[in-house]
Amino acid sequence: MIQHHQASPTNPTRVVLLGGSGFVGQNLSSHLQSAGIKSLSLSSKDVNLIHADAIDKLRRIIQKDDAVVVASALTPDKGKDIGTFMRNLHMVEHLSAVFETNPCAHIIYISSDGVYADGENPIRETTPTNPGNLYGWMHVAREQMIQYAAQKHQVPIMLLRPCAIYGAGDTHNSYGPNRFCRAALGDGIIKLFGNGEEKRDHLFVDDFSRMIIACLQHRSAGVLNVASGKSVSFFEVAELVARLSQRPVKVEGTPRQNPITHRHFDVTEQIKAFPTFSYTPIEKGIAATIAGLRKKEAA
Amino acid sequence: MIGFVGLSHLGLVSSIAVASKGFEVVGFHPDKQLIDDLNAGRLPVYEPGLAELLANSRHRIEFSEDINTLKRCKVVYFSLDVPTDANNNSDLSAFDEMIEQLLLHVSSGTTLVILSQVPPGYTRRWAQRLEQENAGRNLTLFYQVETLIFGRAVERALEPERYIVGCLEPARELPPAYAALLDAFGCPVFKMRYESAELSKISINMCLVSSVTTANTLAEICEAIGADWSEIVPTLRLDKRIGKYAYLAPGLGIAGGNLERDLATIQRLAAEHGSDASIVDAWVAHCRHRRDWVLRLLAREIFSKNADPTIAIWGLAYKQDTKSTKNSPALFLLESLKAFAVRVYDPQVTLPSSCLAGRQNTEKKIVQTGSALEACRGADVLVVMTPWKEFFTIDPCDIANALRGRVIIDPLACIQSHAWRDLGVSYHRLGTSNSREAA
Repeated sequence: MIQHHQASPTNPTRVVLLGGSGFVGQNLSSHLQSAGIKSLSLSSKDVNLIHADAIDKLRRIIQKDDAVVVASALTPDKGKDIGTFMRNLHMVEHLSAVFETNPCAHIIYISSDGVYADGENPIRETTPTNPGNLYGWMHVAREQMIQYAAQKHQVPIMLLRPCAIYGAGDTHNSYGPNRFCRAALGDGIIKLFGNGEEKRDHLFVDDFSRMIIACLQHRSAGVLNVASGKSVSFFEVAELVARLSQRPVKVEGTPRQNPITHRHFDVTEQIKAFPTFSYTPIEKGIAATIAGLRKKEAA
Repeated sequence: MIGFVGLSHLGLVSSIAVASKGFEVVGFHPDKQLIDDLNAGRLPVYEPGLAELLANSRHRIEFSEDINTLKRCKVVYFSLDVPTDANNNSDLSAFDEMIEQLLLHVSSGTTLVILSQVPPGYTRRWAQRLEQENAGRNLTLFYQVETLIFGRAVERALEPERYIVGCLEPARELPPAYAALLDAFGCPVFKMRYESAELSKISINMCLVSSVTTANTLAEICEAIGADWSEIVPTLRLDKRIGKYAYLAPGLGIAGGNLERDLATIQRLAAEHGSDASIVDAWVAHCRHRRDWVLRLLAREIFSKNADPTIAIWGLAYKQDTKSTKNSPALFLLESLKAFAVRVYDPQVTLPSSCLAGRQNTEKKIVQTGSALEACRGADVLVVMTPWKEFFTIDPCDIANALRGRVIIDPLACIQSHAWRDLGVSYHRLGTSNSREAA
């Protein structure tokens, strides 16, 4: 259950954003600016959480009125091995040391729906965490570590577990809308796993940033899955991308390597916490992604 | 003479039903105001037919706050409803206290019958205490399963399907006065050990929840694939293994308190004894999921299109023909609508003060209206949460004229009509998808 520490939305005094140069971080920075929220965006070049000297640096930065958004993690494209897993844990080990000495006003930790088991349906906030890989376990462990550290000064903490995020700024090129858009604008061939039967919820990055800001403005605490509540098949996404790219695109199936699994979210808790929040329809989100990629190409 | 200790819903309905069968009855309750009201013919509960039944049997029933009146009774029922907390666990403290008090005042040789909602093991604990502390008084203790259904309590009390009686020694004959009383209702009497009787009541409710949850699961699938659960139900009722009275109507989970209490009891017993009751956990989760069906639909049909809607709600009671709002889906819904203006109507229930909490400093008012149509005035959507009979008779044109918007959410299909399409109304009920209905 989500608890709003501010019933009426109020901008935080300042947002310290860790992981500011990443896909989500950059998009959030831009939204914070548009919302008139003062923010300090830090990337690993400013404070590298993997190194212990990050503790002192952050202790000098984080103030008691700050809201801290933790969007910093080594994503699976940087490695799925034990070394990456441990580096991710060290990052939050150092961050937790800061939270234990420097109370702040609010913490938002960007986790992942990877904390849930594959094939679990529908996913709710009460669904037990049971990841199928080290990336998911990393987020489970980090959630626990940050909660433990925040508890010392009773700082409200919000754990956001987004489903797969798409948008023009994404660099990961993982299977789904982002890769499909790039393929459509590139060689014009979208390759599906099997025939793209799997259904997934796809989160437009702008929506995610708006949700983070809504949580900041309410000083919300708890666990929230961030998803639209509407799952569509990869085939439908591919067809949509092909149509919206307005160029000849071929959608190709490939021999299936893995059994079909679907993922749906029951977003009731989200509706209760943010009843007026609405998601960008996937058609609009993909159109915006294609436009963004074209703009980048042109630049 | 038959005594009843505790005149809440169960005690009132049961005592009046016994009186109506020609028995002299004493109803005891320590609350003088309640006794004064009852003696003046004012019933604190709403139950169809109860007031008439009381009027007809008034000369055979005495309501009293004097516990000594029970000394005249050969059979005394403990009939105080056992309340539950927010987690659906029973609070037996008041009930225990009432038994303690009563034991000080009943005559030797009295047959004592627990009629209230108690967990397995409860009756035997009291039987053992009676043996230890009241030896020589010849008090015998039974547990009798109650199957009261809110809104149909009179019918159920007058025409029970069977009596289930938990006994210390099931092989022995029931005491004559008690046997004569049960015999007057002309139904089979099943005698069994205490624990079996206590669990049989829970078993009945578990089977009902199982049916309801199955119906709800399939109704949701119908909504997703374009089937209509109401077309399937009649075929199931003709199957003897399912039966014409099976609980197959889709609903908004379970409410009222008793079913939830029994599920919580089984979860507790399973945990205590290491049994696998994971199916009960699944039922509980699914009931919660279906309870929020209206909220999800509102989000999809209204909140996503209108940031400042006014919502009309018909019905606060957890079901028709009762004032009870225990675990009412309507109240859970209102809890999630604090960001919106709401107009509410219920023919029996007054809006609880808890529904006003969190709205003091907002312009999003909640108002209770004096009529169903008044609630609709200026609203963008009508939600029918309780199937009160009066809703069935309201002209669809009047509803459409009173509404500002053109969306009706009627989960239980109280006001289903072919007129909605002509009136341009988007109509939604459980068990089918709106798009297929309109097709």
